[in-house]
Amino acid sequence: MAEVPLSAEERDGLVAELALGVLDGEERAAALRALMADPAFTPGLIEDWQRRLAPLYDEYTLVAPADTLWAGIAARIDDADAPREGALRQLRIWRAGAMIAGVAAASLALVLLFRPVPSSAPLPEPAAPVAIAQMTGAADGPVVLARFDPASGRLSLRASAVKPGALAPELWVIPPDGKPRSLGLIAANTDSQLPVEARLRAFMTEGATLAVTMEPVDGAPHAAPSSAPVASGKISLI
Amino acid sequence: MTSAKLFGICLRISADRDAAEDILQEVYIKVWNRAGRFDSGRASPITWLCAIARNAAIDWRRASLRPGTVPEEAASTVADSALPADRVIERDQMCARLLDCIDQLQRGHGDAIRAAFLDGLTYAELADRMAVPLGTMKSWIRRGMQRLKECIGDG
Repeated sequence: MAEVPLSAEERDGLVAELALGVLDGEERAAALRALMADPAFTPGLIEDWQRRLAPLYDEYTLVAPADTLWAGIAARIDDADAPREGALRQLRIWRAGAMIAGVAAASLALVLLFRPVPSSAPLPEPAAPVAIAQMTGAADGPVVLARFDPASGRLSLRASAVKPGALAPELWVIPPDGKPRSLGLIAANTDSQLPVEARLRAFMTEGATLAVTMEPVDGAPHAAPSSAPVASGKISLI
Repeated sequence: MTSAKLFGICLRISADRDAAEDILQEVYIKVWNRAGRFDSGRASPITWLCAIARNAAIDWRRASLRPGTVPEEAASTVADSALPADRVIERDQMCARLLDCIDQLQRGHGDAIRAAFLDGLTYAELADRMAVPLGTMKSWIRRGMQRLKECIGDG
């Protein structure tokens, strides 16, 4: 098997093979072991290859999935909400992920933070793509994850690293006209759900910006923000 | 539509419509439930989702398929229902060089890299499909990838 430390050529070769996915079984496990033991290896080397290869995704043909896809997802999310089942499921996913993706998955930063807020009602069947956004600001600033389900008109939010104080985080949607509309105050440093007013739902679309500012609790939702955003991000439809 | 791109990836790699739908459900559940927190400095959200779908489909393929199954056949049988291809991947200038650089490789090297990525094939499957010895295939991929990296020129 490969010597450690690896020669530059051998390291480059293994990294390229893992990024491309041509290794399987024991060969793949051996490659991972060799890289892990190599002081000059970092997951960034595999990420670099994933970035280089990304244009190839254009070559996949678009094929519309069956309409039953969304119903199936909703049913399976319901199943996963049962506590024991959820734990088992997570274990299975972690194991599957560790087996196949290994370094690749870790390097994709598949940090899995955003669990759904438990709800006694069954999840509505999504009729349209769900909108997601990750809002960030300064390196030590708040991170807010948002998921908007057009079928229910509800936003699921997870806010972390919000500085405690007299001011509360207020969420805004900024459509292409550039004028922020308040979606309301959100819970700091925990999960919350927020119903989105019907008149604002049309703004929750690809490319619109979500932003969080720190505002006085009194008078919320406000007509306009009083300070610069502490976190912002664009909406993606998935 | 992103779901059609992701389904296209799952279908081509799994070569099985039912399996592809199952894989895609898993992909969405991963993203929705456990939430994908992607590094926006490194990849666009769509590229990130495509990578999750490709990894999940390869996972299924390696666990389920017997060697020698050819994904291209199944992919062509669904061509009638396929939507026109479009470019959903955001590119920067450096990424756009990839296809040019693949075209500049020796023909077998470029074809092998393309098939490895798009169909999720292993060395053994690639050697079988292109009817070359396993050692030759390994050398094509390694040399091809090295040349690609030099051609793209980002280190």
